[in-house]
Amino acid sequence: MTVAQLQGTAPRGVHVGSGVWDLLKRLLRRPEGLIGSVILTVFIVLSLAPQLFVGPLQTAVTATAGRLEPPSGAHYFGTDELGRDMLNLTVHGARISLVIGLLATLITVAIGVVVGIVAGFVGGWLDAVLMRITDFFLVIPTFVLALILTPIIRELVGSAATEVFGIRMTLIVIVVVIGITSWSSTARIIRSQTLSLRERAFVDRARVIGAGSGHIMRRHILPNVINLIVANAVLTFAGAVLTETTLSFVGLGDPFQPSWGQLLEAARSSGAPGLGAWWYFVPPGAGIVLVVLAFTLVGSALDDLLNPKRRGRR
Amino acid sequence: MRGGYLTRRLASAFITIALITIVNFVLFRAMPGSPERVILRGTPNVTQAQLQAARVRWGLDKPVFPDQFVAYLGSTVRGDLGYSFIARGRTVTDVLAQRIWPTVILFGLGELVAILLGLALGAYTGWRRGGPIDHVGNSVSLILYSTPYFLLGMAFLLIFATTLRWFPTFGMLTAGMQYPDPWARFLDFIAHLALPLATVSLGLVGQYAIVMRSSIVETLSEDYVTTARAMGLREGRILGRHALPNALLPTVSLIAINLGYVVAGAITVEVVFNWPGLGTLAVEALTARDYPVLQGVFLLLGVSVVLANLAADLIYGALDPRVRT
Repeated sequence: MTVAQLQGTAPRGVHVGSGVWDLLKRLLRRPEGLIGSVILTVFIVLSLAPQLFVGPLQTAVTATAGRLEPPSGAHYFGTDELGRDMLNLTVHGARISLVIGLLATLITVAIGVVVGIVAGFVGGWLDAVLMRITDFFLVIPTFVLALILTPIIRELVGSAATEVFGIRMTLIVIVVVIGITSWSSTARIIRSQTLSLRERAFVDRARVIGAGSGHIMRRHILPNVINLIVANAVLTFAGAVLTETTLSFVGLGDPFQPSWGQLLEAARSSGAPGLGAWWYFVPPGAGIVLVVLAFTLVGSALDDLLNPKRRGRR
Repeated sequence: MRGGYLTRRLASAFITIALITIVNFVLFRAMPGSPERVILRGTPNVTQAQLQAARVRWGLDKPVFPDQFVAYLGSTVRGDLGYSFIARGRTVTDVLAQRIWPTVILFGLGELVAILLGLALGAYTGWRRGGPIDHVGNSVSLILYSTPYFLLGMAFLLIFATTLRWFPTFGMLTAGMQYPDPWARFLDFIAHLALPLATVSLGLVGQYAIVMRSSIVETLSEDYVTTARAMGLREGRILGRHALPNALLPTVSLIAINLGYVVAGAITVEVVFNWPGLGTLAVEALTARDYPVLQGVFLLLGVSVVLANLAADLIYGALDPRVRT
């Protein structure tokens, strides 16, 4: 659940026009936008080329240090139960968590936007059916559904060693499952915006000169909900990172590509909290909190800027 | 809109529950390997005769639709969810029944504490918005909202159980303990409950405070609050009699909608503290690929969340006539 939903916004009357740079300037002028952007920039730079900062990802084979060593001059963040450097793992985990989050967000938003625009624009029985399905996903505990879907889909696609965008198939399944289970709130927001756009004069004009429904949805509705999509996507990203973390934590991650959630799972199952090894879970944990916080801050700042209903109400 | 509010709400809840059942049926069909092999999993040297017998026994020789689907619906309605793979010979219903109460206690109390604390914090910060407590409260809420529950739980475990030794580290009761009287047993239970309960409550407080704060801020711009101000009412009375009741309504329905998301957090908290509830059961079943139990958990939690939402909708409708149109 994103902050925008928590605050129950029902946006309408968004218009395009302000340039990207102008928007960025206004975003950075807000304290929460600035803080969020700075945190995100740091993590994005780290995850673009983790090997430049900490060398290649350490494995059980290449680990050099002792087991569960507390932080020291040699290992600023200490080591894990296999003797791997926690700084190395955390920086590489940033890349894995962010890439999974990004891909999952793209799928979530794509499904949500298509369902939202079609339901809102076409209306009638199609709208009724699509909204029933949306409500279903909105209400049910989608996480438990994801718990069942992930192993089933993994068994169906098999344990192929193929990689997509440098991400192993096991994690791609997680990406798809997050996408399938989290698009409902995006669909609702986009639908309500589409409903009000549908009544606008420019839609009638397009129809009068003979434009088909598909054309109107693509060329007239979609550009007018872009602002909304951007703000929603940033908030969705925060949710996707959290969901991935939680799924990995209950054992659905991939030990060969440890995301932050996978590291936390390893910390728990190796008994780090009981051994007092705080350095095992604090670095990946802090990473998750900072990234989710940053996306939430930027997302709600964007929502304030791009969503006229919320403008000026502070 | 056609139909009364009550009818619409009931119909919508019914459809959602029906969809949950259908999804469950389809998932079992979608599983790799034929169902009879899944059922006979673990049995050595399966013969063709055994496979055929299993097929007949479980009705798998009949068409998937409508025969198998109708049979599935019938048994689900009767509470027959099949047999667990790991706990051989035990029904899923039996396994679920054993694990439901720890979750109800932990989760119910956690929700209660979080709702009371969160709504109070949100109402106060929204009322005094811009003040120092608002800034601190807002930041705390946002950070709590961004923190996965289990991370909070692991930190609590390390600080209060491992380091300070104030609380036990796992389970619901000390294993192998002989209690002199029920009271000692109860105290042991409370000691085990404290940390997971604190984790669930704190994990939820942030979200509820954010919802309540924005709801209060919204009501403050309403005309009736301005009118109350103009009438010269005391601040406390405006908040208590005018702003709060109106702000509470949307918050209640958001909290209900939020329940589905909260389940994920509750599952991980149970795992961290080895709390013997439905969450740990789900993860055990996941590790052992015990799909009947997993589906049972999904069905049980799904239906509970839908019913909770229905209850919230009905209460909302009773309190606020505007939504009944």
